[in-house]
Amino acid sequence: MEYRSQKIAYWYFAIALLLFTLQVVLGLWLAFNYTFTVPQGIVDVFSFATARAMHTNLLVLWMLLGFMGGTYFIVPEETKSEIYSTKLAWFQLVALVTTGVAALIGFAFGWTQGRPLLEIPTTLDIVVVIGALVFLFNVGMTMYLAKRWTVIQGTLLGGLLFLALLYLFGIPFYQNEVIDWYYWWWVIHLWVEGAWELVTAAIFAFVLMKITGVDRQVVEKWLYVEIGLFLFTGIAGTGHHYYWIGAPKYWLWVGGVFSALEPLPIVLMLIDTMNHVKHRKGKIQNPLVWTYAVGCAVLHLIGAGVWGFMHTLPQINYYTHGSQVTVSHGHLAFFGAYALLNLTMFYFAMPRLKGIEEFDDKKGKIGFWTMTTAMMLMGLSFGIAGVVQSYIERMLGMGYMVAQSYMRLWMGVTFFLGICFFIGVLIMVTDLLTLRPARKTAG
Amino acid sequence: MSKKTAFWIFLLGTVSSAIVFLGLTWDTQRQVAALSHVDKLSAQVVEGKRVFEKYNCNDCHTILGFGGYYAPDLTKVVQRIGEDGIRYRVKSPEKAFANSTRKMPNLKVMDTEIESLVAFFTWIGNVDNGDWPPQDSKKRLSRGEERMVAGAGVSPGAAVFQTRGCMNCHSLNGTGGTFGPVLDTIGRKLNREQIEHYVRNPKSVNPKAMMPAQKELSDKELESVATFLADLK
Repeated sequence: MEYRSQKIAYWYFAIALLLFTLQVVLGLWLAFNYTFTVPQGIVDVFSFATARAMHTNLLVLWMLLGFMGGTYFIVPEETKSEIYSTKLAWFQLVALVTTGVAALIGFAFGWTQGRPLLEIPTTLDIVVVIGALVFLFNVGMTMYLAKRWTVIQGTLLGGLLFLALLYLFGIPFYQNEVIDWYYWWWVIHLWVEGAWELVTAAIFAFVLMKITGVDRQVVEKWLYVEIGLFLFTGIAGTGHHYYWIGAPKYWLWVGGVFSALEPLPIVLMLIDTMNHVKHRKGKIQNPLVWTYAVGCAVLHLIGAGVWGFMHTLPQINYYTHGSQVTVSHGHLAFFGAYALLNLTMFYFAMPRLKGIEEFDDKKGKIGFWTMTTAMMLMGLSFGIAGVVQSYIERMLGMGYMVAQSYMRLWMGVTFFLGICFFIGVLIMVTDLLTLRPARKTAG
Repeated sequence: MSKKTAFWIFLLGTVSSAIVFLGLTWDTQRQVAALSHVDKLSAQVVEGKRVFEKYNCNDCHTILGFGGYYAPDLTKVVQRIGEDGIRYRVKSPEKAFANSTRKMPNLKVMDTEIESLVAFFTWIGNVDNGDWPPQDSKKRLSRGEERMVAGAGVSPGAAVFQTRGCMNCHSLNGTGGTFGPVLDTIGRKLNREQIEHYVRNPKSVNPKAMMPAQKELSDKELESVATFLADLK
C-alpha cells in the first residue's frame, strides 16, 4: 500500500466477501427447492421467488462493492495521489450497504418492484443513485485534481459512468411488457457485456501490469483493442435478447451475428494474458494471484464465450431460451468473468493493504481449486438438466412438470456440488480475511 | 500496431456498434406498437402487469422466457390452461398443487387483481413474438406429433396425448401432471364417443369440471386421442 486512502478498499472487499458467502447460502436453498418438495406452509411465507431475489441482488451488490473497492485501490496508484475524500468513500459504503440490507429485508416482506434482478423498490433506487453519484464524483475529482491521465483510469471511469447511466433505464414503470424487457436488457446486458467488461478489463490490465512488470504502453495498447471489441460485439449483441419478445425479426440476424463474435475479445484477453507472463520481468511474487487471474481468463472464455456462443444462436435459442441452459450459462459466466476477477483483485490488494509482502497461499489454493472445480461441474449439471428440459418440454411438448421430474436428479447433483462450492468459498473467505506472511509458516 | 491504431480500433468499434444499436432501437420503438397490439393494451392489462409485479410472480415464472425457471412460462398461459385454470391456481394453489412435488405460494391475491392478471396474460399471449415458446406453438407441436408417429412408432393418439399439452394435467403410468385425474384406466369408465364429447366441452358433462374445453384439436386429432384413451383398460 503506497497511499493511505487505499485503506478504504479493505472494507469494501471484506463486506463484499460476506455478501458473497450469503449469496451462496441462498443459492443452496434454491437448489434444495428444486431437489426436494418444500411444504406449502414454508412456501407461503418464504417463496422461491423471494430467495431468488435475494440470491441475485446479493450477487449484484457484492460485485459492485468489489468493483468500487478495486477502484479505490487502483486510482491512487494510477493518479499518484490520495483519494479526493475518504469521508465520502465511507459515506457511500454505508449508504449502499444499508440500502442493500434494507432491500433484502424488504423482499422477505413483499416490498419489491417485482422485476427480476431489478427488484429494489424505487425509493431505495434513489439512494443507490445518490451513492453512485457520490462515488463517481469522488473518483472523478481524484483524477481531475491529479491530472495524470492513463488509459486504465479512463477505461475504469468510462465503465463506471456507463454503468451508472444504464441503471436509470431500469427505474421507471413501463406499461408495455415488451418495451419493459427491451429496456430491462439495457441494464442487465449492457452492464455485463458492456460497462462491467470495461471495469473488468481495466482492473485486469492493472493487476497484470503490476504482477508481470510488462511495459504500460503494451498493456494499454491491448486494453484499447479489447474494450473496442467488447463494445463492438457487446452493444449490438444485446439483440440476442430480443429474439422472442415481440420485437422486429431483424434482431435474429443482428443478435445472432454480433453475439457470435462476442468470444473474440475474450480469446484476445486470454492470449494477451499468456503473452504478458511470457515476457514478464522477474519472478511473480504471489503466484496465487496469477492462478486466480488465469482461472478468470479461462473460465470467462468457457462460461461467457463458449456457452454464450452456443446459447445465442437463434436456432438453438428457440429451444433453450429461458431453460436451465440459461442458468448454466449464467453461473459459469458470472463466476468466471466477474467473481474470479473480483477475487483476483482481492488477492492482489489484500496482502498490500495488510503490509504483507509474500503470503502463505496454501489455503487460498485449496479454496481456488474447490470453487472452480465445483462450479465447472455445476455448469455441466445445470447444462444437462437444461438439455433434458429443452428436449422433453420444448421439443416433445410433454409439459413443464414432466420435464422437471426428469431433471430432478441433476438438480440434486447441482445441490451437492453447490455444497462443495460453498466449502470452497468458506476456505477462500477465511483465508483472505486472515492472510499471514509466508515465512512464518515456512519456518 | 501502435497505441494510436489501437485507440482508433476502440473508437470505431464502439461508435459503429452504438449507431447500429440506437438506429434499430428507434425502429423497434416504431414497430412495437403493431407487434404487441398496443390498441388492446387497456387500463386493466396495465393493472394486471402491476399485479404481476406486486406479487413478484416473475421470480418463479418466466414471461417471454425471462425470469425465474422454477415454474412454467406464462407467455401463452391462457392458451395452455385457460382463464379458469389461471383463476383456480392463483386463488387456491394449496389445492391445485396438493399432489405436486412443487408448490405455489398462496399470496392472497384479491379477486379483482386476479381478473386484471387474466387480462394481462390474455394480452401478452397475443404478442407477435416469433411463435415462442415452442411447447405452446401449434405449428411446431403438430410437427412433433408427426415425428413421434413416424420415428418412434407411437400410435397417432398417443402422440397427440403427449404433444398437445394433455400431460400438463393428466398422467399415464406415473408420468405427467397432477391437476387432472390419472388416466391409466380411463377406458373402463368412458368409451370413445364419451371421451370425444368430454374433451370438446367438459362443462356440458360436469358443470364443475376444471378442464378447459379443447377447441384447438382437429376432429382427426380428437378422434385418434379418444381412440387411444378408450383402449386404456
